[in-house]
Amino acid sequence: MIRRIRTHDDELDPVVAAELQELERALAGAPGADPVLSALVRDVRDQVPDLTGPARSDLDARVASGFAADRPGGRLRRFVAPRPALRTALGAAATVVLALVVASAALTGGDDARPVTSSAPPAGGSAEDGAGTAGEAQERSGGDEAARAPSPSGSAAPQSSATAPAPPTTTDPGGLGGPRRVERAAQMTLSTAPQDVQAVSDAVIRTVQSLGGVVASSQITTTDDGGEAVFDLRVPAARLDRAIAELSRLAHVSALVQESDDITGTVVSTASRLQDARDERQALLKALARAKSDRQVSSLRARIADSRRRIASLEGALRGLRARTDRATVGLTVRGDRASQDTGGAAWTPADALRDAARVLEVTASVLVVVAAILVPAGLLVVPALIAARSARRRARSRALDAV
Amino acid sequence: MSDTLTMALPQRNTAQVPFDALYRQTVSDVFAYVFSVLRDRGAAEDVTALAFERAYRKRARYDARRGSQRAWVFGIARNAALDELRRRQRTAALVVEPDDPAAAADLDAVDDATEAADRRATVRAALATLDTRERELIALKFHAGLTNVEIARMLGISEANAGTRIHRAVTKLRKACS
Repeated sequence: MIRRIRTHDDELDPVVAAELQELERALAGAPGADPVLSALVRDVRDQVPDLTGPARSDLDARVASGFAADRPGGRLRRFVAPRPALRTALGAAATVVLALVVASAALTGGDDARPVTSSAPPAGGSAEDGAGTAGEAQERSGGDEAARAPSPSGSAAPQSSATAPAPPTTTDPGGLGGPRRVERAAQMTLSTAPQDVQAVSDAVIRTVQSLGGVVASSQITTTDDGGEAVFDLRVPAARLDRAIAELSRLAHVSALVQESDDITGTVVSTASRLQDARDERQALLKALARAKSDRQVSSLRARIADSRRRIASLEGALRGLRARTDRATVGLTVRGDRASQDTGGAAWTPADALRDAARVLEVTASVLVVVAAILVPAGLLVVPALIAARSARRRARSRALDAV
Repeated sequence: MSDTLTMALPQRNTAQVPFDALYRQTVSDVFAYVFSVLRDRGAAEDVTALAFERAYRKRARYDARRGSQRAWVFGIARNAALDELRRRQRTAALVVEPDDPAAAADLDAVDDATEAADRRATVRAALATLDTRERELIALKFHAGLTNVEIARMLGISEANAGTRIHRAVTKLRKACS
């Protein structure tokens, strides 16, 4: 008898419930169960064959081996597609790393930025003077020395990834007949506490003088809020790296730019023209000694005068070129900066530690914000997509039953 | 439910057993259930193996609060069986699988009692009158031995609804057998 049954979600017809209870007894093989139902259970269960034979033994073996190596590329697949927990951990780690990179870039791009650049002449110097690998090697060693110079805050001076300037003279490059002449220059910016601008400026002058350099010009401005000192320094080119290192110790280096320009070709060319001019003058003097007429003498004297002027000009130019390579130009700016009060000073005090700890917390919070900025939108997109996909899969499976 | 019934029924949501023990306890019933859904012995063997492989790989994700291990395995087997049905529909092959003649022949061959063979044929014919959803319910109840609660959870319906559907399927089966 088919009863009209109630399909309310939380209620079951009592008669149906009783018949289901009887079915449970038959399924359990309980004594006293409805014999018709028991026979039905037995007959239904007898309808299906047992899983026996090779299929069963194969499956037994696979289960015993933990389904380890029975799938093509099983091990590789496990490596490529790790467990969900591991995937989640890897994803979170990648997000954190990405956030750290972003936060680090954002933080270092702020007030604490210390731009450091270095330029050097193209490989081999100017086009007219050929290759100069030996000079470049020396340039690199000189640059490294400057890069290792410690700053007052305990960190190394700004590092340069490019080749650093070289001392002015090196071995003969490309058979030009003399040492390489490299013009070097540097631009430095030091940050210090506002009240220390004057003291740092004095230290700059002392340092330059101790290295045999001179202060070509200086302008020091101090105010209640801080101040600034601008120096145009000349230091022996051979001591430029040492000068940079010692100046870096005076205050926080907020910027450092080093440049070098190989002018060997220009020097050689000028020297060659000078020699030609001198040879010409000697020839003119000999011709003057052999001159017979007044006209010849007058003409030769005029040419000798021109030659003398040209020689003087070339000698001046050559001296200027040599001076440019003998002494390096250093443009130095000392800035009074309140932010430098936090990083300045030689000793690391408990106050510094507190500030650093606060800074660490600040960076950590920034990282978390960036992580959240990445994960929250991603979650808002991914989670509904996963739910929708799961729902769609469930519906597709349900439809599969209906379609049979 | 009485103590006797509790003891007689398949293992319920008790302590978690090792996977190989779970496999031994459920493999025959899983195969029977999958066979009932697919009605193809070869496919049922493959799907049974696939279901246990999936269960093995997902064993760390089993949550005892969400049901017994047995119900969990049958949930995986159901998904695998339905995926197989979908695959068949996509390939437009074996859309309606007839009863496995080889299996039926085997069963009839080992049964030398004519009355039993007749009764078996009657039940087979009666099962064939059920639609797939009803046949699946019979399989979940008769082969898997799941409770109405577990079946309801698996199908995403209420317990009362599950009981009603089971009752309707069993009644239809009994009527077809009579």
